[in-house]
Amino acid sequence: MISIQDLTVRFDGRDILTDINVSIETGKWTCLVGPNGAGKTTLLKTLLGVYQYSGSVKDEGVEVYQNQDRNVAFVPQQPHIPAGMTVMEYVMLGRSKKDGWGRETKSGRDFVAQVLTQTQLFGMQHRFVAQLSGGEMQRALIARALAQEPKLILLDEPTSALDLHHQISVLNNIEILKEHGVTILSTMHDITLAAMYAEDIVVMLDGRVTLAGSASSVIHSPELRSAFDDRINVYTLDGGRPVIMANKEYLNERERPQTEA
Amino acid sequence: MKFFRVATVVALSLSTLFIGTNSASAAAPKRIISLSPSATEDLFAIGAGAQVLAVDDLSNFPASAPMTKLSAFTPNVEALIAYKPDLIVLNSTATKAEDVRKQLTKLGVAVYWEISPVTLADAYSEIADLGKLTGRVKEANSVITTMKKRITTAVNAHRKGKSVTIFHELDNTLYSATSDTFIGSVYKSFNLSNIADAAATADSYGYPQLNSEYIVKVNPRIIYLADAEYGENAKTVGARPGWKNITAVRKGQIVALPTDIPSRWGPRLADFYEFIGQSLAKLS
Amino acid sequence: MWSWRITAISIALLVVVALLAISFGPVEIGFPKILKTLLGLPGAATGQERTLLLDLRLPRVLLAALVGAALATSGAVYQTVFRNPLADPYLLGTAAGAGLGATLAFTIVHGDVYALLPIFSFVGGILAVLTSFFISGRFQAEPNTLLLSGIAVGSFATAVQTYLQQRNSNALRPVYSWILGELTAANWQVVSWSSFYILFSLSILIFISKKLDGLMLSDEESFSLGINPQQLRIIAVAAATLATATAVSASGLIGFVGIVVPHLVRGITHRVTNRSLTAIAFAGASFLVLADLGARTLLSPAELPIGVITAFVGAPFFLFVLRAKRLVN
Repeated sequence: MISIQDLTVRFDGRDILTDINVSIETGKWTCLVGPNGAGKTTLLKTLLGVYQYSGSVKDEGVEVYQNQDRNVAFVPQQPHIPAGMTVMEYVMLGRSKKDGWGRETKSGRDFVAQVLTQTQLFGMQHRFVAQLSGGEMQRALIARALAQEPKLILLDEPTSALDLHHQISVLNNIEILKEHGVTILSTMHDITLAAMYAEDIVVMLDGRVTLAGSASSVIHSPELRSAFDDRINVYTLDGGRPVIMANKEYLNERERPQTEA
Repeated sequence: MKFFRVATVVALSLSTLFIGTNSASAAAPKRIISLSPSATEDLFAIGAGAQVLAVDDLSNFPASAPMTKLSAFTPNVEALIAYKPDLIVLNSTATKAEDVRKQLTKLGVAVYWEISPVTLADAYSEIADLGKLTGRVKEANSVITTMKKRITTAVNAHRKGKSVTIFHELDNTLYSATSDTFIGSVYKSFNLSNIADAAATADSYGYPQLNSEYIVKVNPRIIYLADAEYGENAKTVGARPGWKNITAVRKGQIVALPTDIPSRWGPRLADFYEFIGQSLAKLS
Repeated sequence: MWSWRITAISIALLVVVALLAISFGPVEIGFPKILKTLLGLPGAATGQERTLLLDLRLPRVLLAALVGAALATSGAVYQTVFRNPLADPYLLGTAAGAGLGATLAFTIVHGDVYALLPIFSFVGGILAVLTSFFISGRFQAEPNTLLLSGIAVGSFATAVQTYLQQRNSNALRPVYSWILGELTAANWQVVSWSSFYILFSLSILIFISKKLDGLMLSDEESFSLGINPQQLRIIAVAAATLATATAVSASGLIGFVGIVVPHLVRGITHRVTNRSLTAIAFAGASFLVLADLGARTLLSPAELPIGVITAFVGAPFFLFVLRAKRLVN
């Protein structure tokens, strides 16, 4: 379990995250939702261990800052795509955590072949990563993360740049990880989608956590709208399924210019 | 009996004469490579031309000198060795000259380390040195004496009592040479006033770039063009903005220097002094 | 494993090319005689030929090999660190700094300039890179900022160099020659100190070569895979800079080797990973030994500056790479 207590992250004198207190349960899929600038990505990277913080962030009882003893996979929103590297080589990079850098073992190669099949990339393994489409690139990232056999996987907006069909396919791929008991933490704009897949949801606004709990409790919570600063409207479909959409009247209600990117 | 004695004496004397010249020519190098156009001129002037095997690609005087593609500026040790020389004349300003000298010495080849003269006396010593090296001391001395005579005559005949201002132009971006340079010293010996001296601090080596306004202001009486071979002449100089009122331009006292001669410090230095003397004789 | 085969081939290539280079020149020495002289067997060269072989040819070929290996490997490492296939080892101002150092040597030192020249250019190169690091943000080593600082430092150093040359016209020709790159007066002294620094930095680079692949990803990705990207970048750049500065101080500025050779090797092996770094080092050595052979023989007896040859080969190759990459990117 990841327990976060009184977490504050400061950059250049400004607080990006303030007094965060939340727990992420092992083996579950937790989604961080909230508008742009809420601090979701910063929280994700803090959990990775690359940012300094005050307070406490413990993964299985050990502080995460600069802690590379853990096996954490990170899937960024905008990865650096190396020129001239094939899909196979790219995914093999994921094995460096288990097999060591530059070492290729038979078991490693077999595992990667398996992963490529699972993510429907096996036929493209010799294609250059730079030539992949958006959806294929995302699958390659997931494949690399899977190849790592991580305990925790952090995904930053894994579906934002994808069309509907690919969004679903990527999320399905991530669900595979749950079968291996991997803790999944992803950030997402689309709360409806989040609610479809995640078991826990954490709502963030302006660097703070405004609402947290199981997906169903958060979605049905009367405080959901205010947790989003009234930027959303919650509609309920027949059958009780919630659909969350942006509140078009937000601007009129607030009478201030749009600051969201 | 008497005949026998006389014959022996004659034979012995003749043989010592023979030995004498033999040892002299045995010591003197016969396969010289000159990597300096001035040294080439020196060697041929003192009659050592037959001992010169090859000269660099800029040694164009005399025409009979065996010019090759060897470079004076970037000497190639291996190429030099391929000629199997016994003496190489190497200028100290050649690229990596010290290293080249060390390598040649290691390979057993004698090197004459030529340092570009700063004064006339330096130029004479080089001729004397080459004379000693090639076994032509007498000829070297005679060349030096002739040079001295011609130069003294030229200077005495045409030296100006009152200082005459001159501008020595190296190129059309107005680079010049101060009195600290060899060519500057030639002008100085004629008591000429070199307008580049005011800018002596601009270049530690004596070749400052002058400014057009300054030249117009100082108003030289004679302009010597070292860039005549590149197309500069009285017309192009006069056409420069503001230059038409310069005394040298108005009175047509723009002298095109002959190619090569001003940059060589061999026997043709006397030609240069005489040339400058002549230009001053025509001064109005 | 593929990598051992490629490395073995590149080593063999170097041996063949080196023998060729030692043999050819204005004076030709046959292969058998070369081997006999090197192995101390009867029938070895004697006298002037021996001196030519052991004191002129051999150090020159060795120096070409060392400098070629240094530049090629540094270029490959820079391309990875800066995630830019067109990066070359002079990127952070090493060239300009070394050039400034050399110009200072030619203007300040009287007497045997060439004995002190390597120190001046070496220090100049290193100082330029340190300055780039410093102004980019106290050793933060963020690639894009570093690149920009390098450009700024390089421009400044070049400006100072130009000013010095204007004030000291006698330095113009020697500095120009030096900039074009030359291995003309290689001797055992140069070979010994340059081999020390170059082999030292190359060993470091080859030691970390596998982890360098992580630098092709973003910092968070490589961190998650067990690398400290900041630290690794600093070590890589430091070692590559040391190798480059040494190469420059020994032989002037020889361009294109650092860009052409990594691409050639990566193109042949179809691997962009840094496991081919050893092969790149040996290939760089062969490349420059061949180029130097050309410099010595093509216009014999004049010497063609080696920078001209690498440019003639490098420039069209560059265009070729750009066209080929368009298919990839």
